[in-house]
Amino acid sequence: MALHSAPLRSRSHRTIADLAETLPLAWESLLANRLRSILTMLGVIIGIAAVIAMVSIGRGAQLQTENQLKSLGSNLLFVQSGVATTSSPALLGAGSATTLIWDDAKAIASACESVADVAPVLNRRTQVVHAQLNTSTTVVGTTPEYVRVRDFLPLTGRFFNQIELLRSARVAVLGQTVVDSLGLTPGSALQQTIRIQGEPFTVVGTLEYKGVNSFRDMDDQVFIPLTTMANRIVGVNAVTGIALDSISVSARAAGQMDAAQYQITNLLRLRHRIVPPRQDDFLIRNQADLLSASNSVAGIFTALLGGSAAISLVVGGIGIMNIMLVSVTERTREIGIRRAIGARSSDILLQFMIEAIVLSLCGGLLGVVLGIFSSLLINLALGWKAGLALDALLASLLFCLVIGVFFGAYPARKAALLDPITALRND
Amino acid sequence: MLRLEKIGKTYRMGDLVVPVLRGIDLTILRGDYIAIMGASGSGKSTLMNILGCLEQPSEGHYYFDARDITKIADDERTDLRNYRIGFVFQQFNLLPRLTALQNVMLPMVYAGYARGERRQRAQRMLVDVGLADRMANLPSQLSGGQQQRVAIARALVNQPDLVLADEPTGALDSRTGEEVMDLVSGLHQSGITIVLVTHDSGVAACTQRIIRLQDGRIIADG
Repeated sequence: MALHSAPLRSRSHRTIADLAETLPLAWESLLANRLRSILTMLGVIIGIAAVIAMVSIGRGAQLQTENQLKSLGSNLLFVQSGVATTSSPALLGAGSATTLIWDDAKAIASACESVADVAPVLNRRTQVVHAQLNTSTTVVGTTPEYVRVRDFLPLTGRFFNQIELLRSARVAVLGQTVVDSLGLTPGSALQQTIRIQGEPFTVVGTLEYKGVNSFRDMDDQVFIPLTTMANRIVGVNAVTGIALDSISVSARAAGQMDAAQYQITNLLRLRHRIVPPRQDDFLIRNQADLLSASNSVAGIFTALLGGSAAISLVVGGIGIMNIMLVSVTERTREIGIRRAIGARSSDILLQFMIEAIVLSLCGGLLGVVLGIFSSLLINLALGWKAGLALDALLASLLFCLVIGVFFGAYPARKAALLDPITALRND
Repeated sequence: MLRLEKIGKTYRMGDLVVPVLRGIDLTILRGDYIAIMGASGSGKSTLMNILGCLEQPSEGHYYFDARDITKIADDERTDLRNYRIGFVFQQFNLLPRLTALQNVMLPMVYAGYARGERRQRAQRMLVDVGLADRMANLPSQLSGGQQQRVAIARALVNQPDLVLADEPTGALDSRTGEEVMDLVSGLHQSGITIVLVTHDSGVAACTQRIIRLQDGRIIADG
């Protein structure tokens, strides 16, 4: 037998040649069934876009909460009355019993080295009336230090002063939400008389906007002197002095937060005669605790959103598998022809795998575009400054590739295992 | 070049076992020009598929260049089909979404030729079968005779030494059929071994050796 002049058949060389050949072929077959391809990709497009948009919404919410917590004031500590029943920052027992008094606040101010300012707080939710309008709001009894502790600045007029505090003056400072609800403007509100539980108060100032944080509307508050609050609104005066809901404390510097917390804890234990094993009857929280609590909530939120979006990505993958199976059935004859003229079953496998991957990656890229677009839109609409979730973007594209491989594998294998002669006879 | 020893093929249709080929002994020499004839159902297409390594016999041995191809891996049979055997089908079997040129290039893709060489050789092949001006056309834009010539170009492009044609003129009118047969006879003259299946005695008359099948057996050879 004469030696056949066989062409060079280097398998590794062949595979590369195949890839170069198969990619345009795959593209071609997607274009040939344009509507079908787009509908198939839609699942992946929506999935990817949803993952990117959801994750960036989650991140945006997180950033927003962070900013709001920071806007509460700087180096802030909250001393809450009540029994701390858990060690978690989520306050379960606090506030259930009133154990703090004004003298505690005064003691903290005078005795704790690391403390800059102290503002005692006594709140009630109640009706505030002006002319025919009334609103249900939080009335906060405090001292003039509140302004420094919580970074509240007057927009018009002024905060009440030390003299008004001592005299139990009936003066009030309004947050902007209250100003609006009472049909007033920051300018017109000054010197108006409002009624809190029937008592007339003169408005001496309105506060600048603080916005809504995750706990409440910071502008939906009315501030009056603590003394007036205790005497006229709450009407209960403990024998030991004015009872408080909480004390807001600012530390001298960020580095002194821990020191301030330690000093306050010791001082209050001393004053309240708390000796182990008795539990503290107060709880101190700092901004970092709140931040980490809200961050962990936001993290769960983001994971939940991203996770449910990822499910739609899997659904999209099933769509790809479905259409690839249809494609294999439709192209059985083509597979037979290719097998007859020398395509190995691995060549057929590769061809259909590449088609599935091209399908899922095209969907992925379109999804990325849609995702970026919609997260920009959301950020614009909500005024958030969350960046693009680049990691989510890369992860979802990678996921797309995995989906293409995973859901393309079964149809491609089915194509590769077709018997050439059966495939050829197929019409 | 090819030797079949006691080849048998049975198909299973549910519980029914249908014998299609029984005890076929056949030797094909290099340069042979053979027609396989027989009524439909006589097993001629199955014999052709076995010769073309598309189908495995149920029993017996098939030696291709002294190699028993009933005992080799599917990939090796695939490679034999790719560069030793060229197929021409009754229904042309071109890929409808590829141009004539791309169809002819396809076997070379699987053989691992470089891109430039693929194009060059495929173009030369198409010129040889007289389709120099139809290279960029899709099969649907070509007449039956032209499609069959593309198929012949595709069968020859990897320089096979065996061409198998299953009713190559079956779907063509008699004039284009004659043209195609001229082309096939030309291949034979250039030294390629040709086996064709037909029930057209006019076509069979072009060949040098006619094998007649009946009920899965060879009843005449010569």
